[in-house]
Amino acid sequence: MSVAINGTNGITYNDGSLQPSAPVGKNLIINGDMNIAQRGTNVTGITTTGYYTVDRFSQVVSSAGTWTQTQSADAPTGAGFYNSWEINCTTANASLAAGAFLIANHAIEGFNLQQLGYGAAGAKTITLSFWIKSNKTGTYILGIYRPTSGRQISTSYSISVANTWEKKTITIPGDTSGTITNANTEGFRISWWLGAGSLFSSGTLNTSWGANVSANRAVGQVNLADSTSNYINITGVQLEVNTTATPFEHLQYGQQLALCQRYFWKWTERHAFCAMAAYSTTAIYGAFVYPTTMRAAPTWTGSANADLIILMNSASVTASSFAVEIITTNSARIKIVPSSSRIQGQAGWLETVSGATKYIQADAEL
Amino acid sequence: MYKKLNDLITNQEADVILRLSDGAYIPKDEANTDYQEYLEWVAEGNTPEPAGD
Repeated sequence: MSVAINGTNGITYNDGSLQPSAPVGKNLIINGDMNIAQRGTNVTGITTTGYYTVDRFSQVVSSAGTWTQTQSADAPTGAGFYNSWEINCTTANASLAAGAFLIANHAIEGFNLQQLGYGAAGAKTITLSFWIKSNKTGTYILGIYRPTSGRQISTSYSISVANTWEKKTITIPGDTSGTITNANTEGFRISWWLGAGSLFSSGTLNTSWGANVSANRAVGQVNLADSTSNYINITGVQLEVNTTATPFEHLQYGQQLALCQRYFWKWTERHAFCAMAAYSTTAIYGAFVYPTTMRAAPTWTGSANADLIILMNSASVTASSFAVEIITTNSARIKIVPSSSRIQGQAGWLETVSGATKYIQADAEL
Repeated sequence: MYKKLNDLITNQEADVILRLSDGAYIPKDEANTDYQEYLEWVAEGNTPEPAGD
């Protein structure tokens, strides 16, 4: 067996295959191939900021139209992808107010960025690569903001051909000023600008790392919100410590799901959420251990109390109330008040009633 | 609007806040972005409802 080191793209093996030269885990982006969508695959009527469909990617919007988000099967042919994140304009805003914005964001935890060595000599160069497609050609802005240091950089790229997948590669120098906090807080906020009011576009584009100046963040950005014909698809997002882009690192589905569940998980299975026992005649307790340790203690939400039942003593008991009294990064203590009195010490388990819309979820997103 | 909660077992105030708009249970973890929003809401002079029925 022989190999040839290709300094630009990786290692070429004697069977002709090109393999990445970087170790496993080189991609600092989670869910860059848009394969995981725990929250759902299609959401309409989006006018405010949030995570809606594909995991780890948020839409940031203020006074910039109404949108439908989809985990789409449209992907670049032959590139190894079968999903993309699609955003479609359903109500246009052709003239953005000064403070309006439309952005696609991906946030990276500080713990995962320490290898960059920012804030000191030798800070590493990074390269972001991604596939993008839109009907609207023109100048787009990609920015990175570091909340803890207030440092920011922007670069422009073009969507050259309408309705055609294009691969973009952006190389960003290391920043010898401003460290990235080694913590579970937001280290990088990567922003694909899609629309920007004058508050964010009236200055000179900030193409070097520097203190954040709002007016310099998205100079020249086209307005994707100016027509209901407009859409954008993104996939194959990879950020690596390198001076050039190497082939996308495809993870197994289970690996990627586990990485996503550090930030969000949603339980939609009907059966056996967790074991429970009657602490008293009117309070039933259970401890639920998460699929993985989460970034922070998560916010819990769920569908209605009526969607929950406890199977106990050969009977199904509905919940008259549901509460979460202790929430940690690993588990939570759940309290159910049953609709009828129970015998102290009885054991059982918690389920949801059948139906696709019944759920419990925990959110520790950045 | 938010509401404080009691922990039945310890009979102390729970380390969780209830967001009344959507019934979300928010832990008192400063790395949780919903708790950060709650702290900003309190800093603006607002007061959560007390624990209890």
